[in-house]
Amino acid sequence: MSTTYQHSVLIGNDNVNCNNVANYRDNTFNLNNIIADENPEIMKWLSPLDPRGRHHDVRTDRIDGVGNWLLETNEFRKWRSYEGGADRAVLFCSGNPGVGKTYLR
Amino acid sequence: MQRESGSGENIPKVSSRSIWKKWELSPTVSNISSLVIDDLCDGPCSEEIAIAMFYCDFRDQREQTTTNIVGAILKQLVVRGEVLEHVQEAFKKAKKEVGSRGLRLPDMVQMLKQAVTTLPRVFICIDALDECPPQHLSGLLVSLRDTLHESPGARIFFTGRPQVQAEIEKRFTGSVIVPISPKVHDIERYLEKKLEMDTESDAMSDALRADILRVIPQRISGMCVVESLVLISCIILD
Repeated sequence: MSTTYQHSVLIGNDNVNCNNVANYRDNTFNLNNIIADENPEIMKWLSPLDPRGRHHDVRTDRIDGVGNWLLETNEFRKWRSYEGGADRAVLFCSGNPGVGKTYLR
Repeated sequence: MQRESGSGENIPKVSSRSIWKKWELSPTVSNISSLVIDDLCDGPCSEEIAIAMFYCDFRDQREQTTTNIVGAILKQLVVRGEVLEHVQEAFKKAKKEVGSRGLRLPDMVQMLKQAVTTLPRVFICIDALDECPPQHLSGLLVSLRDTLHESPGARIFFTGRPQVQAEIEKRFTGSVIVPISPKVHDIERYLEKKLEMDTESDAMSDALRADILRVIPQRISGMCVVESLVLISCIILD
């Protein structure tokens, strides 16, 4: 069980291939459950928060194709590929967040 | 409809048949974060990459303490087949103590440093930093900075409102800033999807639908979200 989680976090080690990434992306909740099943006390002791569950919710609501421009910027590409070394280790996207949900009246 | 004096004077009168829609029109920073996280997960498989994420949320400020946030990041990095030994040892030690006492932030940060330094590449993504409780923001940034200093393989991605930029720059010299604002393509894509999923699609004519797709993206590109919301309300009512 824990091996599955290992593959979800570490991309590309030993026998891991890209399929495991897809596996992770489609099964965030399941994988969280696996962690909880395996080490519930330790995980709860580290933190009661569940960031992967939140990620699952956000990505489920995301509209495809929106915001992709960021991934093409030089700033992001360099950050992602470790250009600039430790001096360029932090990338901050600055913007005003949404202020409400969709609703009709 | 009774309006408060001085408010909404430029908004056309609303008939009983009018539809009023308010849509959040920008690719929010949370969307950007989830996109980045998924892009990292989809990346090249030639090397070991670990990814940890956290979404700050003002609705959960009570639980989102510095210690809990650092712990939430840590628990995404400690399982390598089984939980890392140094974390297991710390847990066993804590359990033996009276009341099985919780972790202190310095202990948590120390464990995070140990976990991160054993990985060749680690991406830590923190969304909506401005929603981190103010009393915990400095502690979080300092904890991450200290972790980064000892881990050349670590990268940190933040999103947040512009007002936290100074806090970030103070702790992370050389940090790269990318402004996020609604782009024409993003707004077009968003509107297309919203119109497609509209539960009252019969209430809108094809002409109005076409106008929305034609006019709104050009008008609101680069605006802040609040302005965008007002504008779309007016146009749909017109």
